[in-house]
Amino acid sequence: MSLYDKIFPPRITTLPNGKSVAKPRSRAPVVILVILALSYVSVKVTGFDLSVVVRRSKEFFVIFARMVPPEWGYMSRVWKPLMDTIKMSLLGSAVGALLAVPFATLASTNIVKNKVLVAAMRLFFSLVRTLPTLITALIATYIFGLGTLAGTIAIAVFTFAYLGKVLYEEIETVDMGAFEAMESMGVTKARAFVFAILPQVAPSYFSNCLFCFEGNVRYAAILGYVGAGGIGLILNEKIGWREYPSVGIILLALFVTVFIIETISREIRRHLT
Amino acid sequence: MKDSISAMYEKRPRTWATQALLLALALVLLLWSGLSIESSGSGTGGGKIALNILSGLAHPDTGLLFNFTKQGVAYLLLETVCIAFLGTVVGAILAIPLAFLSASNLMPKPIAFVARVFIMAVRTVPTFVYGLVFVRMVAPGPFAGLLTMSLSSIGMVSKMYIEAIEDLDAGVLESLTAAGCNTLQKIRYGVLPQLMPGFASTAIYRFDMNLRDATVLGLVGAGGIGAPLIFAMNAYRWNEAGSILWGLIILVLLIEFLSTRIRVKLARG
Amino acid sequence: MIDFSHVGKTYPNGFQALKDINLKIEQGEFVAVIGLSGAGKSTLIRTINRMHDVTEGTLTVDDVDVMALKGKALRRFRRRIGMIFQSFNLVTRTTVLKNVLAARVPDLSWWRAFLGVFPKADKLAALEALDQVGILDKAYVRADQLSGGQQQRVALARTLAQNPQIILADEPVASLDPVTARQVMRDFARINQELNITVIINIHHVELALQHASRVIGIRAGEIVYDGSAADVTPQVLEQIYDGKLEEAENESV
Repeated sequence: MSLYDKIFPPRITTLPNGKSVAKPRSRAPVVILVILALSYVSVKVTGFDLSVVVRRSKEFFVIFARMVPPEWGYMSRVWKPLMDTIKMSLLGSAVGALLAVPFATLASTNIVKNKVLVAAMRLFFSLVRTLPTLITALIATYIFGLGTLAGTIAIAVFTFAYLGKVLYEEIETVDMGAFEAMESMGVTKARAFVFAILPQVAPSYFSNCLFCFEGNVRYAAILGYVGAGGIGLILNEKIGWREYPSVGIILLALFVTVFIIETISREIRRHLT
Repeated sequence: MKDSISAMYEKRPRTWATQALLLALALVLLLWSGLSIESSGSGTGGGKIALNILSGLAHPDTGLLFNFTKQGVAYLLLETVCIAFLGTVVGAILAIPLAFLSASNLMPKPIAFVARVFIMAVRTVPTFVYGLVFVRMVAPGPFAGLLTMSLSSIGMVSKMYIEAIEDLDAGVLESLTAAGCNTLQKIRYGVLPQLMPGFASTAIYRFDMNLRDATVLGLVGAGGIGAPLIFAMNAYRWNEAGSILWGLIILVLLIEFLSTRIRVKLARG
Repeated sequence: MIDFSHVGKTYPNGFQALKDINLKIEQGEFVAVIGLSGAGKSTLIRTINRMHDVTEGTLTVDDVDVMALKGKALRRFRRRIGMIFQSFNLVTRTTVLKNVLAARVPDLSWWRAFLGVFPKADKLAALEALDQVGILDKAYVRADQLSGGQQQRVALARTLAQNPQIILADEPVASLDPVTARQVMRDFARINQELNITVIINIHHVELALQHASRVIGIRAGEIVYDGSAADVTPQVLEQIYDGKLEEAENESV
């Protein structure tokens, strides 16, 4: 009997044949109350004001309207940052994905029997994952200087944490039978892992890698804002100068690129599963 | 050795060609990416800065950390949470009609396609662009931040909503029709119960992510904890930066823990 | 030769899985271990290749003290003992041939092991093993597309590719239908006779045990209550082994 059921006792219905059924009271009222309370607090703290939105919504659309027609001529200057963005996410995703494998293995309870090690690994993953990518990129620019290196590292860090968690969760649900059989044959744990477990997790691992890469391309676009290279840099610049048609062409180029990458990625992922 | 065995050996599938090709392709891509990496480089300075950050983490400015006034870390975290919360709520609400418009099992194909492209366009615009636009629109501060969050949530939230809608079990609706329900009743008893857990779970997942993205808003002047962090780092006040980072880490871990628990409960019913 | 001398296994919570086991098995014997579930059959055979430890007594295989083995020596010891499992324990997503090749993994150089590239000699040896169990034609088929009986044969081929001196089988036919079960038992008998490999089978289906094995060991509550030829097993002996619950045990499937 949970605490809630003690405060609000279940409603008991008695059927004609004497049997009774206890229906626990719905949690919905409490949930709605909590949400309303949080909303009220949030509105106060953030200064949310619907009337302002309505009044100023014209501004919003005006800005976006000024992006059309986009400044086609500017496209030639967009190529390099765009490619930089793709390269950043490509390399960053690859590095993060590769590094995630050994660490995720160490975080799986069915492979590593040392509970302390497993717990430490998982804590490590959690900590790394809580850092927002932009903050990591920011710190990276301080340590490694401005430019695409910082962005690549930030993406690698994020990919490492995300894929690491997904991977160790996948490894834990794997069928250990073949692994056990190989150990009984005198194969080392490491080799048994490669032969019996990796083939089981490989398809979903690659699928997740591609999915992460898709998202990373969009993240990489943002990283330029802190000087970590890529398309964010020129985007920020052009917005600052209010040259909206240029902003428009940048966004358009980004949109087309993301569309292409996501379509290809989706096709490959469909093939994998 | 028997003929059948050598015959079988000859029949072996030669997959190494395709595998080698894929590997070569991957290597080419990686080299292409890696060779053009550049950085203004800070040389030895970088290592020193890394150490400074670590020492800042090790000796956080506890005065700032436990300062409960408007300048304190606690209030800023609260502001960040509120931005993320309302941003998620507004985004979740905005995403509902968009998702329904994009569902291929409810709408004719052309409309669904256009809606999806629209969502993708909204999703592609980087968060800070929205941030800058909203700052221009409603003045800098957390309000702009929350509007930014809602728009940037739409992308992922509608995608997951669409999945939930397309997974709808039509059989339930069929049995409701057979029992004589009108459309409103069918929605209330057939559609909503199937969608609610998925919608709620998505919203909570997005809240978790928004919390982390909300820190970014400070960079564009849209409230939250990002700005103080930048200022602290620019001024080399590592202890302050450390305390802000700690506050952030604790907050996110806490929320992640709570949200996972709630989502598991939602999934198990 | 396998030699159990006053072997016992007691778990930390006090439960005694094996009590005072004294047993000698010569090379080339075909032994069936029968008894109720939980009587200790599985524990007994798994101590032989040290999948389970013994807590009392000494267990030697060809004069090697099993409990003294560690690390590399243990692995080399296990190479000579093959194990067959009730659930086949194959890597379902890969081909039959790759599954059999798993037996050759320990001999690979590290880069070959990492990339999964086997030399021609290994592949031929694996194909031969498949031929010996009669499923050469399925070599390049994905393992999960085979029937239960065929999968168990792949497991058998994998064990043969090890060139073992002993084969331990833990309920090898429990998941198979009666006809296939009989075929697999015949395979075991043939391998035992043709290659002089010691075969020790853990089995709860008494009839199959009596039909194919030459020696039967009955276990009850962790102790050996019968050790003799299959021909001498009478209903009274079975009563004793199964503690009166023979019908129940017969009807037990997984």
